[in-house]
Amino acid sequence: MRLLRRSRLTLAQKEDLWALFFIAPWLIGFLVFTAGPMLVSFSFSLTRYNIVDAPIFIGLENYVRAFGRDPLFWHSLRVTLYYGALSLPLGLLVGFGLSLLLNQKIPFLSLWRTIYFLPSVIAGVAVAIVWSRIFSPQGGLLNPFLERTFGIKGPGWFTDPNWAIPGLVIMSLWGVGGGVIIYLAGLQGIPTSLYDAARVDGANALQRFRYITLPMMTPVLFYMLVLGLIGAFQYFTEVYVISGGSGGPQRATLFYNLYLYQNAFKFNEMGYASALAWVLFLIVLALTLLVFRSSALWVYYEGEVRKR
Amino acid sequence: MRRLKTFLAVALVAGLLLAGCPAPTTPAGEPLAPQGDAEGKTKVTIFIGMGTGTDPDQIKAQEELAAKFNSSHESIEVEFLIVPHEQAGERFLAMTAGGNAPQLVGPNGISTVAQFFDSWADVAPFIAAEDFDTSDFYGPAVELNHYPDKTVGLPLGLFPSFIFYNKDMFDAAGIDFPTHAYDDPSWNLDKLRDIAMELTLDANGNNAKSPDFDASRIVQWGFDDSWTDARGFLTRFGAPNVGRPTTEDYKTAVVNSEEWVYGLDWLNKAVWEDHFVPDATVQQARDAAGIDPFGSNQVAMFYSHTWFMAEGLVDLPFEYDFAPAPFNQKGQRIARIHADTFTIPKNAQNQEAAWEVLKWLTAPEQIVDVCLIYGCIPARRSVEAEFERRLAERYPNVDLDVVFTAIDYLDNPNHESYVPEWGRINDVLNNNFSAVYLGPIDAQAVLDQTNREVQQILDEYWARQ
Amino acid sequence: MASIEVQRMQPPATVMHNRLQSMRLQSLVGRALATVVIATGALIILIPFLFMLSTSLKSKNQLRAVPPPLIPWEMTMVEVTGKREPLYRVTIDGETREMALVKNQPGGMGVFVDPFHPEQSVTLKIAEQTPVRHVELHPENYVEAMTAVPLPRYLLNTLIVTFVGMTGVLISCTMVAYGFSRFRAPWLSWLFIVLLSTIMLPRQVTLIPVYVLFQRLGWVDTLLPLIVPTFFANAYDVFLIRQFFMTIPLEMDDAAKIDGASPMQTLWHVLVPQATPVIVTVALFHFLYAWNDFYEPLIFLHSQKNWTMAVGLQTFNALYAVNTHLIMAAGVVMVIPPVLLFFLAQRHFIQGVVVSGVKG
Repeated sequence: MRLLRRSRLTLAQKEDLWALFFIAPWLIGFLVFTAGPMLVSFSFSLTRYNIVDAPIFIGLENYVRAFGRDPLFWHSLRVTLYYGALSLPLGLLVGFGLSLLLNQKIPFLSLWRTIYFLPSVIAGVAVAIVWSRIFSPQGGLLNPFLERTFGIKGPGWFTDPNWAIPGLVIMSLWGVGGGVIIYLAGLQGIPTSLYDAARVDGANALQRFRYITLPMMTPVLFYMLVLGLIGAFQYFTEVYVISGGSGGPQRATLFYNLYLYQNAFKFNEMGYASALAWVLFLIVLALTLLVFRSSALWVYYEGEVRKR
Repeated sequence: MRRLKTFLAVALVAGLLLAGCPAPTTPAGEPLAPQGDAEGKTKVTIFIGMGTGTDPDQIKAQEELAAKFNSSHESIEVEFLIVPHEQAGERFLAMTAGGNAPQLVGPNGISTVAQFFDSWADVAPFIAAEDFDTSDFYGPAVELNHYPDKTVGLPLGLFPSFIFYNKDMFDAAGIDFPTHAYDDPSWNLDKLRDIAMELTLDANGNNAKSPDFDASRIVQWGFDDSWTDARGFLTRFGAPNVGRPTTEDYKTAVVNSEEWVYGLDWLNKAVWEDHFVPDATVQQARDAAGIDPFGSNQVAMFYSHTWFMAEGLVDLPFEYDFAPAPFNQKGQRIARIHADTFTIPKNAQNQEAAWEVLKWLTAPEQIVDVCLIYGCIPARRSVEAEFERRLAERYPNVDLDVVFTAIDYLDNPNHESYVPEWGRINDVLNNNFSAVYLGPIDAQAVLDQTNREVQQILDEYWARQ
Repeated sequence: MASIEVQRMQPPATVMHNRLQSMRLQSLVGRALATVVIATGALIILIPFLFMLSTSLKSKNQLRAVPPPLIPWEMTMVEVTGKREPLYRVTIDGETREMALVKNQPGGMGVFVDPFHPEQSVTLKIAEQTPVRHVELHPENYVEAMTAVPLPRYLLNTLIVTFVGMTGVLISCTMVAYGFSRFRAPWLSWLFIVLLSTIMLPRQVTLIPVYVLFQRLGWVDTLLPLIVPTFFANAYDVFLIRQFFMTIPLEMDDAAKIDGASPMQTLWHVLVPQATPVIVTVALFHFLYAWNDFYEPLIFLHSQKNWTMAVGLQTFNALYAVNTHLIMAAGVVMVIPPVLLFFLAQRHFIQGVVVSGVKG
């Protein structure tokens, strides 16, 4: 701290040191716990490595193999993108919509909020067991309901390659309650004075939403989008339980991370799995940077600092 | 900016140093300080989880076993390390990479041995060094642990397979129970199909042979062998390589053999034409409900192994008995088998101590107790009578001769046995095979395609060697 | 930006009164509608949970019913000549009476007898008769699930990991989020991407190196791998807190700065009070994570005495055991503390409707 009081430092340097001080916990942790394993996994990606014997350096062979002659690499990427393209926008929409409703003056508010929070409390494995029961085409809950209410004969869900992914998307919507908590925290941060002013000005509910709530919520929506993106690409636990780790039926749920996992721990190819992981890393990083770039256009920060 | 550059440089170097440090420099990592407790005992950690779960009763029985060993041995201390099955592979590999491989892993099925084939030490030198007598073990059981370049362990137990049948359903349908005699040639796949169809009922009580049978509302099925994989199902049809999808030199795929095509087609017809085998929808419903096919009380004949007895035959609301596997279309009887063994990881320290513990676990004095924990039949002839007696106490109303005789008809090469790229090849086989439960298939086309995929994996493997 | 838009749509004063009235009506209808939607959604959300609850109360035998009914029904059995047989409500010549099914026969027929007069028997089509059943609950599953494992020990470990970890996460993530949101150094933007990138690499491929690292540090089979890293911040929580810090106007910092507050004081006295909702949210999420995570504890903890509740829960998942009822019972028990915590804590971080309005 004495260092900071020295007058030889310019104001900007002082500020930088403070910045460094504040991010130091992460930076140290990153260097000690995270950077090493990440780099090691990258070095694995240049080898053939079954974990038991010493790795054999093979250069970029694993990457060539993934792009050049592994149809399952492309297939699992497609499955993941398909799921992400469905679940991410739906999840954002449903989660945000629910939080708006749960921010109204309605009776038993705490009870409703607790119920919506419930799914995020139940551990992944129990969830998957329960849902495979609900989707079960024989004596499950969903199909008889569809038949009685809409007269639709429900599909086989997790036994039908065409319906397995939509089934997983529905399952993921069940868990949006965790995000609702974050949205609610965000809604809470919007100053009531803004709404009061708008009301006096005669703005209707839609206008208040459009010109106050939405812009003020963009930082939270941005957060949910970025994390949703990263999460969708790493989707694993639920599908692992539901398909028994196989990615079935007929590889319809062979998600990228599941295929990667199979390579690492079922096929004894940690080297290839690491290469797959780094390809995924680069895809997600690129998409995230794109979203960050776009944020200047649509995310509104009340307290943004201009970088020098 | 200069300061920043210096900082980044330092950070980078630190990162690289740290990165280099945990990378395993030798296969086993650096040797750690010799393990042992205050009394200087050598520690032998037995890794449990690859082939069994974490049943609280099992955990307790294992602790008692460890106590028994530790109280009778001066220089070695045994400790059981229990890992839930789902994560056992990751955990074992992590420990191996960390230079901390367990001394013994087990009980391993043939499939676990095959999946982590490169991990195991060869115990042949131990056997040779002390001229260890293996003659008391069942010959086939010893055979199952022999591979071209190594012997992976001592046999612990066997899990022969046979038919579990629901006597109440046979009674209700007015059909005679299947024969228990292994020498009755009339008990073949055709006969099985015949009675299975009569045992398959729709909601109106019509059986699958009746013209009024409603295939969309089946409530009871005649036969079920869904708790196995592609090789497990097809091994019974008597292909030249039996349960192995390749030739003996592992170079050529033989998935579309005449026998396997016949077998897959037999199953295809059984599910979609004759309706006596439940499809994926029904299987999924049962799995979702957390129940096994036999316990669902909807299957007249369930094909499985002795390991099913421990959990599957508890409090059943109906009477049951066992019958032999039927003769196949070639007039052979092949009753696939599972086997358990404990293996020593080749990267483990204290392998001599591990060998001592391995011998102790499979010795006549312990093998019955150990097998009772894991539900297998001891692989030693000398304890067969004693084990059958103890089994009869637990299962008084079943024909245990069916169980023991089944060992003589085991599949060799085994349906779980090692092939190169074991995990990848099995994944391809099972993925393509499982289509038969989703909808009608062309067995020949499916297996031709599978054969091409397996051959490609083999070609890549051999190109790398 | 928002305030400019609001100004632009100011209506003439004459219509104000009518508008306010119609708005009140609108909001009433809107609220009723919202309640209906929310209640329906809540029902859907509760169904899987009810499934868990009902499964946790079934016996092994009740579990065998396919399809599994939501209500834990049990067939009513009666004693007929020494054997327990299922009771049916049968219809004979338009007359309904209760009889026991003693024997199945070909063609879906069954032999039914009067339990009190076993000599009176009749053969009928089983599918046309109604089985008599009753609800049977097995709360003893909870006792079995809770006593099969050294629960107090697991609970203690879980509480240590959860609460020490929560402290670590709150301190470190708040600091780091402040560092990333309130300073102007250009390299911060890039480091922030680096921070985010740490959660982009699937953990399956870093598992082995991380294990080796902790092994070298001598931390394997201690609770340290689950606790120490929490003090070094994580991307999820830093990002979340940063997003909230960035909605707090800079003028508030400037005012503090003019009063001579150090950055540390500004963080503590200006930003933290403003961001309380999100900080409590982060605490809650970390609690949930630590409470439910079994993957890392499984890999790093050898001895059973070091296991956490979530690992203990996994142990019911024995390979061949049909312990679904116990898994569910333990699952229900695991859910209670976090839900209770949430129910009690929510008023402290998400008050009714937007009321705070401290800023702006």
